[in-house]
Amino acid sequence: MTTIHVKRAWGKPVRAQALVMREGFSPRYDLDRWNGVISRIGHSAEGESIRDRVLIIPTSKGGVAGGWAFFDLLNKGIAPKALVFGKLNPVMVQGAVLAGLPIMEGWDQDLLALVRTGDEVHLDPSARTLRFTPNPP
Amino acid sequence: MNDTIEVVDLHTGTLQLTPEEHAMLRGDKGPAVQEAIRFQIEVGSFFGARRFVPITHAHVMGDIEVMGDGGLQHLRSMGDQHARCVVPTSSNAQCMHFHDDARLRQDVDEGAKEREILARYKTMRIAPTDSCIPYQQVYQPKLGEHVAWGDTGTVIYANSVLGARTNFEAGKASFAAALTGRTPAYGFHLDEARAGSLLVDLRAPMRDPADWGALGKLVGHPHQDYFAVPVFDGLGRMPSSDELKHLGASLASYGSMAMFHMVGVTPEAKTREAAFQGRAPRETMVITGADIQAVYDSYRYVEGGANIVVFSGPQLSLFEMQDLAERFEGRRVAPGMAAVVTTNHMVHSDAKRLGYVDTLEKAGVTILQGVCFYILQRLSQIREENGWTNLISNSGKLVNTITAHRFNTVLRRTDDCVDIACTGTLA
Repeated sequence: MTTIHVKRAWGKPVRAQALVMREGFSPRYDLDRWNGVISRIGHSAEGESIRDRVLIIPTSKGGVAGGWAFFDLLNKGIAPKALVFGKLNPVMVQGAVLAGLPIMEGWDQDLLALVRTGDEVHLDPSARTLRFTPNPP
Repeated sequence: MNDTIEVVDLHTGTLQLTPEEHAMLRGDKGPAVQEAIRFQIEVGSFFGARRFVPITHAHVMGDIEVMGDGGLQHLRSMGDQHARCVVPTSSNAQCMHFHDDARLRQDVDEGAKEREILARYKTMRIAPTDSCIPYQQVYQPKLGEHVAWGDTGTVIYANSVLGARTNFEAGKASFAAALTGRTPAYGFHLDEARAGSLLVDLRAPMRDPADWGALGKLVGHPHQDYFAVPVFDGLGRMPSSDELKHLGASLASYGSMAMFHMVGVTPEAKTREAAFQGRAPRETMVITGADIQAVYDSYRYVEGGANIVVFSGPQLSLFEMQDLAERFEGRRVAPGMAAVVTTNHMVHSDAKRLGYVDTLEKAGVTILQGVCFYILQRLSQIREENGWTNLISNSGKLVNTITAHRFNTVLRRTDDCVDIACTGTLA
């Protein structure tokens, strides 16, 4: 089991499958908010559903849409389980708090190199940790 | 005697509250204010905020496309709790154009919800300005003035050009600030976040709004970081409000940035040293005319279907409307092409009075009021119904923000956009 420490975190503990993105993410620029599938042509996670997954995202992009969008996704039943950013902007925190989604920022190891889409990850925001079983090399 | 004990959540996180703020948290000012300050404490504590700062103005963002039924229900709940803004508050561009253009059909049911949102705004003492350029018409905060603005383009303009202080206050955040009259002091409310971090040696002749958008892409895209603050130096002239508007909107879009400096232009950058608060830049970029040209050259047209030229993102100012009217005068949008302009009601009203609207409409340009193009409700279906493949714009922001709707976007200078609209030839 690998433990990643994060700089900042909010929310309740959660365990779910990861969806790892290789580039920034905005729910307005990159997501079809009616089916929960990444729709931006050429996005590293194009075609993947965010529903019930822990989104692992290097940076936030844009835009204020996330302030409402995560709450809207929750209401539509297609919200992710949690958000884990390398770097984020306040929009993501504001949107996550409104929707009750756990959110983290700033990892102490290169999470993008360690965790893969589909891996089960366990977030404990109060301990500011993220744990998972690493893949065999 | 009532022996029940009311359980009140007095969690204050990292913030030290004033007696007035404690009263809000206890519920003395009603449930809407209590819920608002609780939300602000959670967000502020994430960033380690130690206190609140009073604000003078809030600018809220919310429309049915982005809020959805859940957001509307939340707004209704605020209304039921008698939420009232305690500072002057305006609203951002909306998603419904209420225009009868058959090519831009929107859902009737969603339109009714949008009208309800606008009506509820008025009840809450929000002025529905439907503007993403409030800094040009509605309210201009001064140097050092704290506000809570809920649109990225407005935030970066306020911090950079006006020297006011705000973070991105998205969704509920700007509503909460409007109800409590304050916001947690983190990020760009604090001196340290406002120091430049990246030097941009600007050696390009900047001659069109699209050049400023291209510059924002060149700087923002490789530095996606809310807390990065580019410092531009070398322009050698005083840029206009519209030029800085396009630069800021593009930096905020590509880089998620909330502030820039321009030496000798913006108020906290009288000198390069002042912009960096005496520190050394972490990185220096040189941007030439060839770099700007390379941005245009990087876009590719896709074969097939119809195409659309859009002037939007941010909404057009009165002088941009004047400029476009002059360019379209005596010309006509080509068959099979569409040309769309968006602006707010205040600009539209004056542009109508001054004849710019009539000139543009005579040329076949569609003018939408109170919206921005990329946030239109039902936009993916509108694209499909019209068979629109390429979207050409002079807005660096728009060609980035609209991509979830699967347009192939192409950035071009204003002259080229007008020529493409009127000839139908993609160039």
